[in-house]
Amino acid sequence: MGTSYIATDPLDYILAGNRAYQQRTTKRDPNAFALLAQGQAPEILWIGCADSRIPETTVCHCKPGEIFVHRNIANTVHADDLNAASVVEYAVTHLRVNQVVVCGHTKCGGANAALGDADLGQTLNMWLHPVRELRRKHKFELEGLPDDDARAAKIAELNVQQSIEVLKQHPAVKRAANERGLTLHGLIYDIGAGELKILSESGSKKMNGLWTPP
Amino acid sequence: MTGKEEPKEVRKYLQQSHDRIFENNKKWAEEMQKKNPAFFKDLSAGQSPEYLWIGCSDSRIPAEAITGLDPGEMFIHRNIANLVCNVDLNVMAVVNYAVRHLKVKHIVVCGHYGCGGVKAAMTPKDMGLLNPWLRNIRDVYRLHQAELDKITDEAKKYDRLVELNVYEQCRNIIKTAAVQQCWAENEYPVVHGWVFGFADGLLKDLKFDHEGQLKEIQKIYDLTKDA
Ligand SMILES: [Zn+2]
Ligand SMILES: [Zn+2]
Repeated sequence: MGTSYIATDPLDYILAGNRAYQQRTTKRDPNAFALLAQGQAPEILWIGCADSRIPETTVCHCKPGEIFVHRNIANTVHADDLNAASVVEYAVTHLRVNQVVVCGHTKCGGANAALGDADLGQTLNMWLHPVRELRRKHKFELEGLPDDDARAAKIAELNVQQSIEVLKQHPAVKRAANERGLTLHGLIYDIGAGELKILSESGSKKMNGLWTPP
Repeated sequence: MTGKEEPKEVRKYLQQSHDRIFENNKKWAEEMQKKNPAFFKDLSAGQSPEYLWIGCSDSRIPAEAITGLDPGEMFIHRNIANLVCNVDLNVMAVVNYAVRHLKVKHIVVCGHYGCGGVKAAMTPKDMGLLNPWLRNIRDVYRLHQAELDKITDEAKKYDRLVELNVYEQCRNIIKTAAVQQCWAENEYPVVHGWVFGFADGLLKDLKFDHEGQLKEIQKIYDLTKDA
């Protein structure tokens, strides 16, 4: 897709990409945009990393209209973050999505930065603080791993699980889980393989990465 | 779904739509691998996107798909109604990482006509947890009240508010120290305001004047000098 539009100006490049997308879509289904204009009814809320290598709709081979999306640094959900909380509220209460997915990934810059305490500037230090706390909490487990790639992948997993714990406390999620069976899922995207994997927590009644309300 | 299925049926249905994502993902990974056997290996080496995209969470606007970009080309933040709020650590962390660490050349704020977030903010109603977030859009309305009040056609007024919201968020990005300092040093990133329309599937460039706005903004919000 991308490389076929070699234009000197990078903005012309994506505007040309947009025209190609529009023509392709209209050719396949002349009513495609008229249908989209009527509204959205996504089944899934995706909370993922801002990383450019994981375009959720492309990676899941989905169509526009299928996945509602929030993406931030290291797919982190903090209890006091109004940005993510507003997305969750809108998706769960107003759009009534049935599933919430938190997707971490291998080779995550945020997870990698959380392996150490390098100064990334105050803003990023503050944002990543809870992820760095995870590293401290799981020190021994992490030290037992063969290399930094494995440690970063483990941090990414722990971070997904932590975000899911925070999401369970969101009032809209609690209500929807009890009233209509909303489920939460932890995923890891393997950048080197292009593949999604379901995370399952050990020792719990979860099957297939699904979280069941108590 | 009608909302009246037995619990067991609901479970089965959820499991199916969940499984579909995984089947689709496998298909996609195989296709990409066939097209370019080194595709995932190259991505594994790192990212160096040229663009930061700040767009709406709306499911109908997957940024990469509508711009025809491949994985690895665009860093993405998406929230309700593509807002850039100055006290929001979430978006500020994204802007900081994209500008200071990834050195993106362009920042695109992309709104869209028919935005549910903007619509909700035009509704005189208590939206609970969403109030503080949507309040930022009501503030955009207040800033441009003279112009908006003159538009009598409701649909046109709504479209214009979508555009003005993008415009104000572009200004908010320019107010950050990260953007001002990087610009002073390198003459990038450049901030752009766009709106996506479902009527034609095309992106409309609002022609945001980055340099002019920067000058204007720095009269009050000048954060160029390091502490
Ligand atoms: Zn990441
Ligand atoms: Zn929207």
